[in-house]
Amino acid sequence: MNQPNMTIQALLYRFGTALLLLLVSACGASNVVIEGNFPTPNVNKMPMSVAVIYEDALREFAYMEYSETGREEINIESGQSHIRLFDAVLPAMFDRVVNVDTMEDAVEQKVDAVFAPVIEEFQLALPAKTKLDVYEVWIKYNMRLVTTEGDYIADWVLTSYGKTPTATFRSVQDGINGATVVALRDLASSFSLSFSQVPEVSEWLRNL
Amino acid sequence: MAKKPLDRGTREGINMSTIKKTQIVNVGATFFIASLLAACTSTTVDEFRQGETGIETDESVVILGRRQASDYETDSGFVECVGDRMQRGENAISVVPEQEFIDSMFPWFEPRTAPLRTRDLEQLMAEDVVANKMNDYGIRYIVWVDGFTETSGRTGSISCTVGPAGGGCFGFGTWEDDANFNARVWDVDSLKNVGTINADATGQSYLPALVIPIPLLARVEANACSRLAIQLKDFVNGS
Repeated sequence: MNQPNMTIQALLYRFGTALLLLLVSACGASNVVIEGNFPTPNVNKMPMSVAVIYEDALREFAYMEYSETGREEINIESGQSHIRLFDAVLPAMFDRVVNVDTMEDAVEQKVDAVFAPVIEEFQLALPAKTKLDVYEVWIKYNMRLVTTEGDYIADWVLTSYGKTPTATFRSVQDGINGATVVALRDLASSFSLSFSQVPEVSEWLRNL
Repeated sequence: MAKKPLDRGTREGINMSTIKKTQIVNVGATFFIASLLAACTSTTVDEFRQGETGIETDESVVILGRRQASDYETDSGFVECVGDRMQRGENAISVVPEQEFIDSMFPWFEPRTAPLRTRDLEQLMAEDVVANKMNDYGIRYIVWVDGFTETSGRTGSISCTVGPAGGGCFGFGTWEDDANFNARVWDVDSLKNVGTINADATGQSYLPALVIPIPLLARVEANACSRLAIQLKDFVNGS
């Protein structure tokens, strides 16, 4: 008679633990991994070769949104989507693009310049907090272009903005993903159209 | 010949069929009232023509939603609805899907880069990549749709309760919906604005609740879409 009782006890214990874990996980932050495809820009290619360094800070970029009480609410992982975006945009802008890990690799590749984008700031506005019917995302970037010797060519700030309206049956995750994808497209459009107009870049291109 | 008394099963059958008939009548009456009330939508369409129009069979139109405003953006579902309706029926027009066009033209028709005036379109067409893509699609007209649907005047209240024996709602709610959209037609050949069509649909929606809430919705956006599409089709065809 002891054996079945123990089994029931064990089952109850396991059920209780599972319920507790479920409750604890329900109180934790939800995770949003940004997913989206980015079209190739229709721009004229510049006759230059560029090496791209994606630093770990960009590759693993994540933003944590906190509730008004300071509790971790939503974790947004957008590092990989940024890399997919630059991988779609850069080959359309330059004659040759190579991905490298270090400056030494860039020297070996005999490129004209090394490009290293950095995310400086990420902001999110949720309808529940702003009382507006849109999800909004702002991203501030620091774009750095250096020679293979490490000399500075240009260092400029780009900001991008994206919004997506709330809709019936659209989850918070979908809303955030939608707004971030719009912001990433905004970055791609302003970067590809304004690159050669950055004064330092323009001057460097003239001397290339 | 004496009538055979009805057995219990037959009596139940009669009762059931009477109940079913009553239910059908009730449901029918509800739908009739609903359709009468839901039809309480008025739509006004204004057209302002600034140039001659006409379209060949190998030419097409693209309908794009304006998304520059900070407090709203034109619903892509509405833009798709207008496009679908323009492609149907008599004098149907070939319409390029909005997202396909924007992706194909990337980055020239994004919210921050899209041309706001025909002068901007002229500058844009000077770019070979843009002009070639427009030519590939055979785009003759770009239609910019701008607007949104607003809900106002919410009144009434509904309360719902759930208990061990069941649940239900009781009350009444009503609100007004107003869909206001305008469409500017740009001729890609002449690089001019050839006209503007405005569609404004208003209607009152009701939500009576007697155990179950029955939404009687004014289909303002659907009506605005339908009327705008018909008017646009005639406008582009030059009739």
